[in-house]
Amino acid sequence: MVVLAIFVYWPIVESLRLSLNRVAPFGNAEIFVGLDQYTRLLTSGEFWNNVLVSIYFMLGTVPVGIGLAVVIALLLSYPVRRLSWAHRMLIFVPVVISSAVAGVLFRWLYNPVVGHINTWLGAFGIDGPNWLNTRTWALFAVTVAVVWRQLGFNVIIALAGLQQIDDSYYDAAKVDGAGTWDRIRYVTLPLLSPTLLFLVVINVIISFQAFGEIDILTMGGPGQATENLVYSVFVDGFVGTRFRGLASAQAFLLALLVMGVSFVQFRGFRSRVHYG
Amino acid sequence: MKKLRTILVLLAAFALVAAACGDSDGGDTTAAPSATTAAPGATTAAPSGDAITIEFWHAMADDLGAVVDELVDRYNASQSDVVVNATFQGSYDDTYNALLASFDAGTAPNIVQNFDLAAQTMFDTGRLVPAHELMAEGEADGFLAAPRDYYSDDTGMVALAFNSSTPIVYYNAEMFEAAGLDQPDPDWNFSDFLDACEAIEASGVQFCATFGTVGWFFEQILANSGGLYFNNDNGRTARATEVEFNKGQGVEVFDFLTGLIADGHAPNLGNTWSDTDSVFFAGEAAMIFDSTSGARGFQDNADFEVKTAFIPHSDSSERNGVVIGGAALWLIDSGDDATNQAAWDFMRYMTLADQQITWHTGTGYFPVIASLQDAPTPELSTFWDENPNFVTAIDQLATTRTVNDDGSPNYAVLGGRAGPFPEIRRIIVEAYSAVLDGGSTPQEALDEAAERANEALAGYNAFFDG
Repeated sequence: MVVLAIFVYWPIVESLRLSLNRVAPFGNAEIFVGLDQYTRLLTSGEFWNNVLVSIYFMLGTVPVGIGLAVVIALLLSYPVRRLSWAHRMLIFVPVVISSAVAGVLFRWLYNPVVGHINTWLGAFGIDGPNWLNTRTWALFAVTVAVVWRQLGFNVIIALAGLQQIDDSYYDAAKVDGAGTWDRIRYVTLPLLSPTLLFLVVINVIISFQAFGEIDILTMGGPGQATENLVYSVFVDGFVGTRFRGLASAQAFLLALLVMGVSFVQFRGFRSRVHYG
Repeated sequence: MKKLRTILVLLAAFALVAAACGDSDGGDTTAAPSATTAAPGATTAAPSGDAITIEFWHAMADDLGAVVDELVDRYNASQSDVVVNATFQGSYDDTYNALLASFDAGTAPNIVQNFDLAAQTMFDTGRLVPAHELMAEGEADGFLAAPRDYYSDDTGMVALAFNSSTPIVYYNAEMFEAAGLDQPDPDWNFSDFLDACEAIEASGVQFCATFGTVGWFFEQILANSGGLYFNNDNGRTARATEVEFNKGQGVEVFDFLTGLIADGHAPNLGNTWSDTDSVFFAGEAAMIFDSTSGARGFQDNADFEVKTAFIPHSDSSERNGVVIGGAALWLIDSGDDATNQAAWDFMRYMTLADQQITWHTGTGYFPVIASLQDAPTPELSTFWDENPNFVTAIDQLATTRTVNDDGSPNYAVLGGRAGPFPEIRRIIVEAYSAVLDGGSTPQEALDEAAERANEALAGYNAFFDG
């Protein structure tokens, strides 16, 4: 309890206090401004841009990430037994890599002049875009990197969910004359729904917290095309000129947003999840 | 049963969030202030008798850090009154965050290294002992003008320039030869630069140059063209209240830099210091803008001959020179005169010729004392003969016009000073993108940047109105 109080509650109270003050970068001068920083944020284009980036980022990573994970898990669960441990390991490896290392790897791949992706595209006569430095492509490029790193974790969870499903359900469906696709559609997916809910909740939260890849790949640029709320909190609070009051206010709004989204998820999924 | 499962899922979710939070804090190398790292060093007891222990926090990683350690060891072995305990704190941002946390926790170090743009903020901490208070009469004159004046206010020298660097153009000598180009004139302007580009590209090289869209090159080429960044003499005769970079020279300089990329003379690699290296080393670009502190790395890592040239200036200006970059050592007031004196003794030791030679030859950062340039030691002369790129770097700074013809200070090359300078540098990065990817003209992008920069200045200055 004491530990919680020191490391969780006190920082929350402290950052709430900071969010109501304008704090000088060196911490020795504070001006109380009440809710002024909140109103400034809520009326600024930059803040809403950052919110939108966070949301696009969620929409880009969560459905694709989980969809891919389920497909791969299904493939892995089919009996190529002799190879599957190797496959699983290969799929899981990216999870162990830190986001910073993954970011550096993708940076090399995306380099418009000497990067591998555009070199390969060039071999097919395609003039690849400048992935990280055009507003059209930057967010997509970062999304791909995050989906890739998160994929292994999602696959493993989905695979565990699949293995929970008793064979007798499949046998019954087979007897009823269901084909492979029907079995996936009417047996696997409904019985997998608690796992899927878990994955959605986790992935949504992870997507809102995406930081490492953004920092390494784009630093929020070009312009602010990939600056999500977390990155904005970091830049305002810890880099260069430190606007810690403003960063705290953003952090609070971010927390509210994540709580709101999580609440909607549980409400929305409650009726659709089947617990075996 | 259903409810229990929901609760379990929820619990698992929160556990993971907590884990994820912890992870992003720990994994990131540029954030996370850490008061905890401050504590152990600061509480180390003096090892022997009356010796005073001085805590020295620096941001020099790897090879650079090894040279720092070597110098600290040399100092500790040279006398027995003071023991310096050097601690690597991470990046400049990390070090600064740790410093701020230590102010709150009461574990502040005695000496801290902080970078050029943070100068105004360091002044404003109110926790410094200005160097001039501890210097002997006339001691400040022993320093080179540029590093001395950069870190001075109207009372004198405040911090000690430690690792000083400036921007420079590195070029692929073989490509220059193939294009029929000689060593660029030190006084070359934008037109000369573009002429060279044409020759280089005509000889079959894809890109004439490469550079990151960082704020630094804009600041430096603006200074070289004699333009001011801030009002009030670049924020040096009074607090800067407005930026000046969206007028006159600023627009010409920004037009040139964005034009290099827009016209295909340079690839758009974004806000980077590393992707440009890959392009240069891969032989896709003939020139690269970078820091003089990279001289050794470029020389050693390229499989072609690397030579160096001065940075260019605008067509409508004379060459002014460069602003000192890098970082300085700041003396934090411990409240105890003897301790402050001990800390200063170490700082002074670091500026003596022997240490400066080790530092310069080991890292590429400049020697900051005048005597070495006026009368180099034989060791240094040999080093310079073997490493002409280091000499270009020094010459570029030595020939900088820090004083105008009428004897007044040339504020353009003394460099801008403002509290939110780091924030404003970031705004310039976004201005690049507004031009290259957002359809703005350089003038429009700079005007928008100026508006945001002025807001940042007003917000910072509000702490000092009253």
